[in-house]
Amino acid sequence: MNKDGTNMAGQRGMARLTRRALLLAAPVLASICGGPWLAPAAQAADTPLVIARAMDINSLDPARTWCDTCQIYVSNVYESLIGLGPDNKTLTPRLATKWESNADQTQFTFHLDPDAVFSDGSPVEAKDVKWSWERLHNIKGGPSFMMDGVKSIEAPDAHTVVVTMEAPNSEFLGILTAPYTGAVNSDVAIANGANANADADKSDTSEAWFMANSAGSGPYVLADYKADDELRFKANPNYKHGKVGISEIVIKNTKDAVAQAQLLESGGADIAMQIDPDTAKTIKSDSVAIETVPSYNFVYVAISPGAKGNTVKLTKEVRQAIGYALDYNGTVDFTVGGQGKLQPAPIPNGFPGTADLPTPTQDIAKAKELLEKAGLGSGFEINAEFPNMNVYGVDLSLLMQKVQQDLAKVNIKVGLTPLEFSVWRTHVRGDGIPLTAVFYAPDYFGSAQYIQYFAMMEGTPWWKRAGGANDASITNAKEGDLLKQALAAPEAEKDKFFHDIAMEMINDRVIIPLVSPNVVLAYAKSVKGVRYSACCNLPLGEITRE
Amino acid sequence: MYRYIIRRLIAMPLLLLGIVSIAFLITHFTKGDPLISIIGERQMDNPVVIAAARARWGLDRSLPEQYLIYVGSLLTGDFGTSLRTKQGVGRDLAVRLPATLELVIAAMLLGSLVGITLGVVAARYRDRAADHLARLFALIGSSLPVFWSGLILLFIFSVQVHLLPGPGRLDARTTAPPIVTGFYTLDSLFVGDLSTFAEAITHLILPACVLGWTVMGLVSRQVRASMLEVLHQDYIVAARAKGASEPRVLVNHALRNALIPTLTVIGFSFAYLITGAVLSETIFSWPGVGSYAVDATRSLDYPAIMGVTIVGGTAFLLTNLATDIGYAFVDPRIRFR
Repeated sequence: MNKDGTNMAGQRGMARLTRRALLLAAPVLASICGGPWLAPAAQAADTPLVIARAMDINSLDPARTWCDTCQIYVSNVYESLIGLGPDNKTLTPRLATKWESNADQTQFTFHLDPDAVFSDGSPVEAKDVKWSWERLHNIKGGPSFMMDGVKSIEAPDAHTVVVTMEAPNSEFLGILTAPYTGAVNSDVAIANGANANADADKSDTSEAWFMANSAGSGPYVLADYKADDELRFKANPNYKHGKVGISEIVIKNTKDAVAQAQLLESGGADIAMQIDPDTAKTIKSDSVAIETVPSYNFVYVAISPGAKGNTVKLTKEVRQAIGYALDYNGTVDFTVGGQGKLQPAPIPNGFPGTADLPTPTQDIAKAKELLEKAGLGSGFEINAEFPNMNVYGVDLSLLMQKVQQDLAKVNIKVGLTPLEFSVWRTHVRGDGIPLTAVFYAPDYFGSAQYIQYFAMMEGTPWWKRAGGANDASITNAKEGDLLKQALAAPEAEKDKFFHDIAMEMINDRVIIPLVSPNVVLAYAKSVKGVRYSACCNLPLGEITRE
Repeated sequence: MYRYIIRRLIAMPLLLLGIVSIAFLITHFTKGDPLISIIGERQMDNPVVIAAARARWGLDRSLPEQYLIYVGSLLTGDFGTSLRTKQGVGRDLAVRLPATLELVIAAMLLGSLVGITLGVVAARYRDRAADHLARLFALIGSSLPVFWSGLILLFIFSVQVHLLPGPGRLDARTTAPPIVTGFYTLDSLFVGDLSTFAEAITHLILPACVLGWTVMGLVSRQVRASMLEVLHQDYIVAARAKGASEPRVLVNHALRNALIPTLTVIGFSFAYLITGAVLSETIFSWPGVGSYAVDATRSLDYPAIMGVTIVGGTAFLLTNLATDIGYAFVDPRIRFR
């Protein structure tokens, strides 16, 4: 025995403690050393598929939600009547097996799939579709305009829906590919505070319920939503087309493109959705596939003749001079490293009416000539305010620096002021902004949405922002007449009218598209079926894993 | 001492009311429209939709009315509903605060312990190699932007050598442990899930190191300066003359006195990081209060901005109080004053 017995006991105690600590720590150390993060291992079939993207969700209620991530959510949870095929043009049956319209495009009849059921197993009926669309309109939320012009919705039997429009609308079928028009299980939603009454904007109390639950018939159901963290989907056990390829999908909020790429390369994510072309070049992993496909998104500059900050009158001549001064090809190279397309009109390439539109080109001599004619040969100053954002891989600050350089060549001095988006929004609706840069993404396959937003027809958002209410010269009445004809025309003839409107919009030179950036699809090679959809962003139901 | 603490605690609600009032005014006078985050750009020119949204969120009322309603709700513990997440702000913060605290506490522990050690070593070996190295390390820590060091460390340890995991509190494929404290490390231990515990720890290492490095820079410089001042005092000479060992002189005599100003730095850093760990939270996809604050500010989510302000204000007030109490424990002269 030691002279100091206490110390002996202490040492034995310490030894026991150390052994216990090691025993306790062993599994932890083993977990750390053998953790899945050490090497991207092959994923089991039931392992959740992880998508890294910046979540911009503002609601999960299909009548209130409005964002890119929302498109993914709503389109995969609340099935719409009509889908959009892989070519992003062809209308495909979803909840409706067939449909027809009358000759003047004022009445549409849809025949629902009698086998379609909601995630709780109850049948999808015409009353659910009628209720969902009426609610979409009456909630007065972000996507409510989809039901503008609808006079009545009838459900003559459980599987037939008849929609009557106030005026011809040949694009109504295209609108129905927008995910926000998906059918909601009305019985379940009503039981949780939803209603479709005319005062639903005040009386509907269901949004909190929709943030934690779903009631659709799409391939997936909402499993869990943690705002700013993750959105978790589970396969809908009652999906009419059977079992989907992946049983659980997680959208993981990863704000930065570089962080998304790192997560993908390290095996922490299977798909990275907002990788820009520059970041894509840095991905070296052999296990990652990178595809670059043309998108229907575009970034444009807008000129507002009615803005209070203008130093000179921005007549059509001056606007056209600005249009000629811009270096379109150079902008595509400068902003997205050539990974984008030119877009002649404020209607995306490939949409109705965009075939054979003239390619925009820079012509400095012509620009100078026009400015000379307008008495502005020595140039002028113009203030550009724009959202301080990187959108679809285009940094708007970089883009406007390029515009600044281009316009300097014809003696137009551009002052650049980047703003937070919400502040930019207030400015553009208030005093107006002489020169700005913004972006647009399609809500469905159809050209009318662009004309109703960008054309210089009375009442459109950009007509107001351009000062149309105070300056009659801005209004282009021809565009309104052509739109009416396009919406009343049969399918085969409407493209011609949209083409004519596109030409008018090019000539207006209020909206000047600069780049349609390609979409970078970056995903683990073991993942199949990843594609870009014009209406729905990413159709999750088509994804499988080897 | 107790009376002093109670007086400070009583004054706290009044100070918070002041913070709330100023924050409310500043937020509402910002030239931005919060409706953009609710209804989207496409409908912002639709007067019917705008009117409905304003009425729904109470934005159609006058500013004094909005203020009174907000303060009235606050008194009942209701922080309002976030315009962006559509959840109660109190609930949002309750979910995010543990994530931030877990990160900040880990970073503070790391930063403070390493910072104090480096400061002591630097002071003890003034102008020698150890001093230069410690100062260089501290300088790099406090100078490097977090977003840069974060991305570089992620690239090296996660992408290149696969030693540590990528962003997030857990692998996205892992189900989070049942919430008890909201600290994934503790909650996973409570249910005996060692695998998730290990995952939570490994996910914590990089962001805590990046954030802790900045704190370490501040702390080590402060400790070094204070130690250099203290090491020349008579009582240090006396302690050495009495034959006290060098570690005893440094830790028991010098460091104890040098810690008083350091406590202020540590306390301030802690309070600041509660709402200020924005970049680390963004780079490491850490769903905490900092990233919530940024998202709220960008979308002018008034109730969320106010909620974060209240949390930040409370953190500063409590940390100041804790620092003052800490002084008393470190320096008996303050305790008896």
